[in-house]
Amino acid sequence: MKVLEMNHVKKRFDGKEVLKDISLTIEEGEVVSIIGPSGSGKSTLLRCATFLEQMDGGTLSYSEHPVVVEDEETKKVIYPPKKELREVLMDFGLVFQNFNLFPHYSVLKNVVDAPICIQKREKEEVYEEARELLAKVGLADKENAYPYELSGGQQQRVAIARALAMNPKMLYFDEPTSALDPEITAGILKIMKQLAEDNMTMAIVTHEIDFARVVSDRVIFMDDGMIVEEGKPEDVIDNPKNERTKAFLKKLSY
Amino acid sequence: MKESNKGKVQRRMLLLAAVLLAGIFVWFGSDGTAVQAENDDSTLIVGFDASFPPYGYQDESGEYVGFDLDLAQEVCKRNGWKLVKQPIDWDSKDMELNSGSIDCIWNGFTMNGREEEYTWSVPYVDNSQVVIVKADSAIHKLSDMAGKIVAVQADSSALAAFTGEDATDENKALCESFQDLQQVGDYNSAFMNLESGMVDAICMDIGVAKYQIESRGDAFRMLEESVSSEQYGIGFKKGNDTLRDTVQNTLFAMSEDKTFETIAKEWGLTDCICLKEYVPALLVEEGDMEDDEKSQTSYVEEGEEIVQGEKVQEDTANNTEGKSASKSDFLSIAKQLGKGMLATLSIFFFTLLFSLPLGLLLTFVRMSKYKVLQWIARIYISIMRGTPLMLQLLVVFFGPYYLLKMNLSYSYRFYAVIIGFSLNYAAYFAEIFRSGIEGVPLGQREAASVLGYSRMQTFTKIIFPQMVKRVMPPVTNEVITLVKDTSLAFALAYTEMFTLAKQIAAAQTSILPLFVAGLFYYIFNFVVAFVMEAVEKKLNYYR
Repeated sequence: MKVLEMNHVKKRFDGKEVLKDISLTIEEGEVVSIIGPSGSGKSTLLRCATFLEQMDGGTLSYSEHPVVVEDEETKKVIYPPKKELREVLMDFGLVFQNFNLFPHYSVLKNVVDAPICIQKREKEEVYEEARELLAKVGLADKENAYPYELSGGQQQRVAIARALAMNPKMLYFDEPTSALDPEITAGILKIMKQLAEDNMTMAIVTHEIDFARVVSDRVIFMDDGMIVEEGKPEDVIDNPKNERTKAFLKKLSY
Repeated sequence: MKESNKGKVQRRMLLLAAVLLAGIFVWFGSDGTAVQAENDDSTLIVGFDASFPPYGYQDESGEYVGFDLDLAQEVCKRNGWKLVKQPIDWDSKDMELNSGSIDCIWNGFTMNGREEEYTWSVPYVDNSQVVIVKADSAIHKLSDMAGKIVAVQADSSALAAFTGEDATDENKALCESFQDLQQVGDYNSAFMNLESGMVDAICMDIGVAKYQIESRGDAFRMLEESVSSEQYGIGFKKGNDTLRDTVQNTLFAMSEDKTFETIAKEWGLTDCICLKEYVPALLVEEGDMEDDEKSQTSYVEEGEEIVQGEKVQEDTANNTEGKSASKSDFLSIAKQLGKGMLATLSIFFFTLLFSLPLGLLLTFVRMSKYKVLQWIARIYISIMRGTPLMLQLLVVFFGPYYLLKMNLSYSYRFYAVIIGFSLNYAAYFAEIFRSGIEGVPLGQREAASVLGYSRMQTFTKIIFPQMVKRVMPPVTNEVITLVKDTSLAFALAYTEMFTLAKQIAAAQTSILPLFVAGLFYYIFNFVVAFVMEAVEKKLNYYR
C-alpha cells in the first residue's frame, strides 16, 4: 500500500519556487532517505507532507485516500476542513531537528499527552505503552525528568518516543541529528535503524550519507527544488549518474 | 487517576470561589455606599471638599464633620431625608453637580463671581479673604507683599479675588506686584509651602485662617488688612429651584429657632454668620397667610426642635473634642488609614480581576489575522498608553453624562474607578502577553500541530503556560505600579488610602499621615513582590 503519494507538488516563497513539480510515493515498510544541498527544498517537502506548509500546487494522498486535491479548472489546491485534516495527522509522526519537546511537561507527559487528549485513548494503556517506548529508547529512568534536565540526544529520543506513541503509519525525520554532537548522533541513528528493522515506514531528510546507505531502501537526491536522481542507495550514493549528484557527493568526501 | 484529577479540579474551583467571595467581601466591606440607595427624593447628597475645616473635613475617628455638614444634617433631619456626605475633588465640582452625582455643593462655597453659574441659596456666612504669613515675616500690610510669592488654593475665592473676572482693580494691581501667585491643591500643602519658605504668604478665607492659626499655634499670623469680603451660599444645579427653596426654608426655620446660631457657635463661626439678615420676616407671615397647613407643621416642629437643639449641642461638643488641635499619634493615624487601605485593596483586586482577562482578550484581537481587528486593538492600546490614566478616569466617570446625557447613580463612582483602571491596565497587559506569546518558539506550535492539537488546545495546553512564565517579571512590575496608581482614584473623589491621608493631614494640620500612607504602600508592595517572587519560583520547575 502507498502510505504517501505526492504528485506534481509546487511551493513558492515570495515568488521564488522552492519545490518545482515534485512527485514522491512511499510504500508501506519502505525507508526513504532524502539528501541534497541546503536550500534544495528537502525540508520544505517534508513540511508540505506534514501540513506545516501549504502547497501551492499538486495533490497529496495518505493511505491511498486523497487529502489535498487540485481544482480541475483553476488548478488551485483544496485542503480538507481542519477537523478532517487532524484525522489525517494521525497517519504520521514528525521528529524535528530541534526536538521541540514541551518544556513544561515531564518526559512521560510529553509522550502520553497527545494520545490521551487527542486520540482519546485509555489512560492506563497509553501510560503502559509510553513506558515501554521510553525503555526502548533507553530512557526508562527519566520519565519524571523535565526536558531541560536532559542532553540533546536524550531529548531527541523522547521526541521519537512521543511520535511513536501516536501509533503512526509512518515517521518523518527532519535532519534529526544535525543539532547533536557526533558521539550522540550514533545513538539516535541506532534507534532509527532498529525502527527500520521493525518495518517502520520512514522518510528521512539527512546529511548522514553513510547512515542513509545502510538504512535506506531508496535514496532521493534533491537539488534546486527538484528530484534529480533516485534509486537504491548503492546506485545513487556509490554510482551516481547525474552530474549534480556527483558534485554534491564529491563535496562531502575528503 | 481519574478520581484524583477530579478532586484536583474541585479543589481549584473551591479556591477560585473562595477568592471571588473574599473579593466581594472586601468590596462591600470597604464601600458600603456602593450598595446604598440610589440618588432619589429621600436622600440629599452633599458634595464637599473634605479638606476644608471647619466647614467640612475628616475628624480623627474618620467621620466627615464640619459646620456645613452639621447644617446639612439638621436640614435633612427636618425634611426626613437621608444625608449622604460625598467628598469631591474641588476641581470637578461642576461636573459632579451637573451629572447629578451630588445634589448641592455645601462647603464654604463662595458666591461672589459665581452668581450666574449656580442656583444659590441666600448667603449664610460672610467671609473675607485674609493673608497669613509666618510670625516672623517682614510682611505687615498688603503692600508689603510686592515681589513675594503668594499661595492660594486652586479655584478658590482667594484666587478669584486676585484674578477672577470680578476682581477689583486694586486686587489685580496687588496681584501684579507679586513675584508669583502659586496655586496649591489644599491648605495643608499651602502651609507646608509656607513653613518651608517656598511661599511667603497664603491668602485664604477668614474662617479657615482662624482655624489654621488656632491649631498650628503662634508660628503664623494674620494680616489685619483683608483682601476682599465675600459670602458663602449653598450651590445647586442651575434651575433646581425646588430643592433650593426647600433647603433654604428649612435654614430659615433653623435661624428662627436659633439652631443655626448654636451650630455656628460650636464651630467658632459666630462672627461670620449672616443668615439672619436674609430671613424674610415678611415672607414668613405671607407663608402663614397662604398656607395654614405649613404653619401648623412648623408649630409642631418647633416643639421637637428644642429637643433636637440639645442633641445638636451634644453632637457638636463631641466634634469640638475632635477638632481640638491635638495631633494623633502613629497608631491612631494607621487605624484611620485602615479604612482607606480596604478601598485601595478593592481597587487593586478588582482591577487585576478584570484587566488580566481583558488584556488577554485584547492580545487575541491584536494578534488576529484580520487587519481591521489588529488596527482597532493597536489604536486602543496606543490611546490607553498614550494618555494620562487620570484623564481616562475622568472620561469614564463623567463621559456618560456629558456624552450621553445619562444621569449617574451614586454607586457609579466606584464602578468608574474599576472600569477606568481595568481598561487602562488591560492595554499594558495585552502588550506584555503579546510579547510573551511571541517569545514562545515557533517549534512549539509546529510540534503541537503535527501531534493533532487544535488551535485552542495548542494555546491552552502549550502556549499559555509557557507565556505565563515568560511574562512574570513584567507583570510583577505592572502590579507594583498598580498598587501606587490606586491613589489616582482621588480624581474621582473615591476615598482610597492616599486621599484619606491627605484629608487627615489637612484636618490635623500635620504631614505625618502622608508618611504613614507611604509606609502602608511600601508594605503592600513588599507583600506583592514577595508573592510574585514565590509564583516565579514555583514556575521554575522547568526552563
